[in-house]
Amino acid sequence: MVNPALLLAVPLALAFLIPLVRLVARGVVKWIPVFAMAFNFIASVLIIPRALEEAIVTEIGGFPAPFCINLVAGPLGSILSSFIALIGLLVAIYSFDYLREVPTAKYYTMYLLLLTGATGIVLTGDIFNLFVFFEILCISSYSLVAYQGNKAGIEASVKYLVQGSIGSSLLLLGIGLIYGQYGTLNMGDLAGKIEGISSPSAFVPLVLMITGLGVEAAIFPLNAWLPDAHSSAPSSISAVLSGVAIGVGLYSIARILFTVFGGTALLETLAVIGLLTLLVGELSALSQDDVKRLLAYSSIGQMGLIAFGLGLATGEGVTGGLFQLLSHGLSKALLFLSVGYMIYRSGSKKISDLQGSWKRTPVASLGFAVGAFSLVGLPPFIGFPGKFLIVRSALLKGELFYTVLVAFVLFATVVEGGYFFRVVQIIFFKGTGGRRLKREVAPVSGLIPLVVLMLLILIVGVYPGLITGLIDSAAAELTARSSYFTLVMGST
Amino acid sequence: MIFLSEYIYYIGAIGLIFIGLLIVLVKRNLIKVVIGINVLDTGVNLFLISSGYLKGGTAPIYSPGSDAAPSTMVDPVPQALVLTAIVIGASVLALALSLGIKLYDHYETLDLEEIRGQRW
Amino acid sequence: MLEAILVVAFGGALVSYFLGRWTSRIRDYFALGVWIAILGMTSYLHQIEPKISTFYPGFLGYDLSLRITSLSWLFAVTVAAVSVLVIIYSFRYIKGHEKRNLFYFLLLLVNGGMMGITLSGDLLSFYIFWEIASWSTFLLISFNRGKALPAGLRYVVMSVIGSAAMLVATLSLYSSYGTLALSDLSTHLATAGGGYVIFIFLLFFVSFGVKNAIVPFHTWLPPAHSEAPAPFSAVLSGLLVKMGTYGLILIFYLIAGMKIFLGLGTGIWSFHYIISALAGVTIVVPSFIAVLQDDAKKTLAWSTVGQAGYIVLGVSFGTGLALAAGIFHFLNHAMFKSLLFMSIGTVERKTSTRDLNELGGLVKRTPVLFVVTLVGAAGLIGIPLTNGFFSKWMLYKTLILEGNPFLAFAALVGTWGTVLYSYRLIHNVFFGQLPEKYRDVTRTSFSTYLPMVILSIAIVFFGVFPGFLLGEINVVTTSLGFTPLDVQLWGISSDSGTVNTLNILAALAVVGVMVWYLFRSSAETTEVSQEDSYTAGAPVPQGRFTYTADFYRPLEKIIRPYLKDRIEDFYGMLVGFVGVLSDTVRRIYTGYVGTYVAYILALLAAVLLVQLGWKPW
Repeated sequence: MVNPALLLAVPLALAFLIPLVRLVARGVVKWIPVFAMAFNFIASVLIIPRALEEAIVTEIGGFPAPFCINLVAGPLGSILSSFIALIGLLVAIYSFDYLREVPTAKYYTMYLLLLTGATGIVLTGDIFNLFVFFEILCISSYSLVAYQGNKAGIEASVKYLVQGSIGSSLLLLGIGLIYGQYGTLNMGDLAGKIEGISSPSAFVPLVLMITGLGVEAAIFPLNAWLPDAHSSAPSSISAVLSGVAIGVGLYSIARILFTVFGGTALLETLAVIGLLTLLVGELSALSQDDVKRLLAYSSIGQMGLIAFGLGLATGEGVTGGLFQLLSHGLSKALLFLSVGYMIYRSGSKKISDLQGSWKRTPVASLGFAVGAFSLVGLPPFIGFPGKFLIVRSALLKGELFYTVLVAFVLFATVVEGGYFFRVVQIIFFKGTGGRRLKREVAPVSGLIPLVVLMLLILIVGVYPGLITGLIDSAAAELTARSSYFTLVMGST
Repeated sequence: MIFLSEYIYYIGAIGLIFIGLLIVLVKRNLIKVVIGINVLDTGVNLFLISSGYLKGGTAPIYSPGSDAAPSTMVDPVPQALVLTAIVIGASVLALALSLGIKLYDHYETLDLEEIRGQRW
Repeated sequence: MLEAILVVAFGGALVSYFLGRWTSRIRDYFALGVWIAILGMTSYLHQIEPKISTFYPGFLGYDLSLRITSLSWLFAVTVAAVSVLVIIYSFRYIKGHEKRNLFYFLLLLVNGGMMGITLSGDLLSFYIFWEIASWSTFLLISFNRGKALPAGLRYVVMSVIGSAAMLVATLSLYSSYGTLALSDLSTHLATAGGGYVIFIFLLFFVSFGVKNAIVPFHTWLPPAHSEAPAPFSAVLSGLLVKMGTYGLILIFYLIAGMKIFLGLGTGIWSFHYIISALAGVTIVVPSFIAVLQDDAKKTLAWSTVGQAGYIVLGVSFGTGLALAAGIFHFLNHAMFKSLLFMSIGTVERKTSTRDLNELGGLVKRTPVLFVVTLVGAAGLIGIPLTNGFFSKWMLYKTLILEGNPFLAFAALVGTWGTVLYSYRLIHNVFFGQLPEKYRDVTRTSFSTYLPMVILSIAIVFFGVFPGFLLGEINVVTTSLGFTPLDVQLWGISSDSGTVNTLNILAALAVVGVMVWYLFRSSAETTEVSQEDSYTAGAPVPQGRFTYTADFYRPLEKIIRPYLKDRIEDFYGMLVGFVGVLSDTVRRIYTGYVGTYVAYILALLAAVLLVQLGWKPW
């Protein structure tokens, strides 16, 4: 049995080991993230069966709750941490070849820190600890976005930093208010103490925290940093940022809103905000000519869709939202990794310069098509069950209000289809613009992640039952406050 | 006056927070914006500390021979939080300033109104 | 058995892709073998007891099932048969293109998807196969690059809109009745309120109307059909578009049932009558737009829209005879339109143009092609002793019997248009002088002719013996609750008149003999060389004399102003509007950090203020 604390300790320790290892053996450095993430993946997958029976609560420092900082590896936490580790592992392998011209040791340190932060966020059961992991995630993202040191990257990073700092200050302020009111920082304890959100003493910190977390979760209108950062970062980092980081942000909003505050009254608003995010993201993506920026805006849209699903507040809606979280993570990671290759070969981020990619980088082109179709929600790819579950639960509510919202969601899907299909056409059918393009042999390390992601998207798309069971219990964990309270605090 | 003395720290904290936000909102120079972020941070930190402060309280340390009751001690948790937050704030500050240097290399200016290569 | 068909279809698509990376010849025959096997399996299912089998228990809480009824068998077997012929045709056509493996893979995927559509036993599997067919269609339409790209995009956007509508309708049915199985839904919908039924009908109508290219959802079809690779145009026109018809029959007659479908509203304001009127418009206008096209494939594409109108008119009109006519016309259309797309595709491949003003005289170089095209065109027009005659006759008959002169007139006028463009097609491609540049056009290979010859034989055969197909159709319409028709091998009889191909044959024979005598008795024709003609002293031009450009100029002058496609303009406006909206929306990301910080604080302040003022949460 693995202690969940190891999921944080191992990558954190290895991250800081990297600079030392680099002095001794330069060639080993790139294997360290792979090792760390492989460990995390295996460990979290091993945890899942036990977490499904009963969430594993690890109390760090030997104090009992609520005085300690505790880790709660319930179904949701263990699923998300294995998901983070999986994406992390694949992107680490991808980085082997992708990063040949820049110094790698610092990159890998930052990279592992980012993933540690993300894992910490999904595992922690303490809101201040959440803040700390959040800052680890954010600071490493700032520096990774700027990693290439080019004009766009630096600018995006600075803007991201300013907005992110405001967000985390608001978060911290909210945490301070909560501590002042309730005298505890433990999520489980808080879940037992907070009753309703209508009183200002609960509402103000809730709004502060959600706004703070919303900056990372890319909720409209807090998402202005995202298109810059995700499009200017190295593609491997864009994949992690888009696939993992913002999803984790949304997770923490859900955790705060559902578990800690039980703020069901706000959910309708969340659904509307999610819808706005979706529409703004998809519409903005429509008229982009930079492919990475297009993908970044599409990430905004998808976050909106997930928020919409979560905001439906039915068990199934939450399941749909979480499913879409995973499905978007896989698809968007695949898209960014594929596009990374194409850009690497063609040297341009312009969509029109992608023409002929089918000849140059066939696997990456196929990857793009699969990812794009999946995001649009076409069967038999993984995006279909996600979108399907969300639309179904919205319609199952049987209210005109939600039916109208669904109409807008589907409008956004049409827009999304519009731009994704256009890019797919350019990649596959536009011709080569008169140039004779050679097929370039792609390194195996670059192909493995693409192929694995494609297979996952296809397999889970055909058999969503593989993970819907898990996600169902995760959704139950997220929405059941009282059982979370008993879990952490004991049955007192 | 009693009101003031009671709440002076909170007033100061909230004042700092608003000043910080205002700086970030209206100033266009990156360095000033970074300073604004720091003022904001300081405000939040002060707020946290004040929430655990007890007027005339002692350090929350049990030592042999001391007869201080727990009720006279200041709450140690906010202090721990603030320590962490200060460290985080400092590292963000360092990162922001180093990014600022790079940014100046690329744009020859720190005016954020002019640094708009990434938009739409 | 049903599962096996789908496994073979989708597995075959995948295997043929990888086979093709190894050797193209084996891939071709493998693909053919797969579909012959499917055709065999499907035919084997002829008139078996309707049965349902769950092939995927528990997909997101549903059991996906397949089922076969007489209706789905008829569509499935058509899909399989046309697919086999199209694959044979592709052998030669696709040679020399790049991405051949992708072409085969997608073609087999589309066909497999259509098999899935026809065989699905619940609306969710229907939707899944529908979507698979849709996106692979999109890729195939875009296959030819160039102008094909916007055509493909237009198709896929409309198709996504259609499937969104279908998804909402499907899930709405589920949330109301807790089931999606076709057999269960039919019992539930009987108790539903009229408003709800109309809501569901409208959503499905959008979805199927888009695929079926009913006015006003037709705008994707002409560019898509004309730009797709010819073998796929055949599939698209003959089969894929008609999946919409299948869906309409499914919803109107199988799920809702005749009573509900025909009972919505009264008189000309009843639901089915409005759809029939739309179908009438779909017949008339596109048929005349087709007359004005200079592009052979565009002519055929617009003709598909028009013919789809006949089919939908038959389906929506609501009598047993009309439904039978609609289904019959679907089968016939699958035959002659596939044939015509194949033959025009061959012409394009040989001459690398499909501009009607440039072609001509090909009858001398490719006589077989001429004959099969002629048969196809005859079927399209509905000349007696070809299959098209029968289905149209049945349709006219029922329209007149039920006292619908307007619709009958529309159908008739549509046929005039059909005659005009079919004649022009034949004339401009095959008759007249052979331009110099096509002097060395060669005959095509056996594998290209074979499917066309088979189709033309089928057209004539079913024109003479319509009873074979009408018998099957009769089973279908009876199973949907209509009174059976009196079908004989030679024709059909009803209480108001009989049509019998024997009589027609006899009449034709008499007329034929008379005409032959007339020609015999007239003066003999003499061959005159091209130079031997009076040109007022000027040297005889080496070009052509055949009159093809501005073929129907007087007619064109009259009808052109009426045929402006305002619907297309409207959609263009919508797309433009979304584009402007998109460009406006993204301006909120100004690039200046101060604005972004303002957004954050504004949200915070707004939420807090709202709570302070109204306490909504």
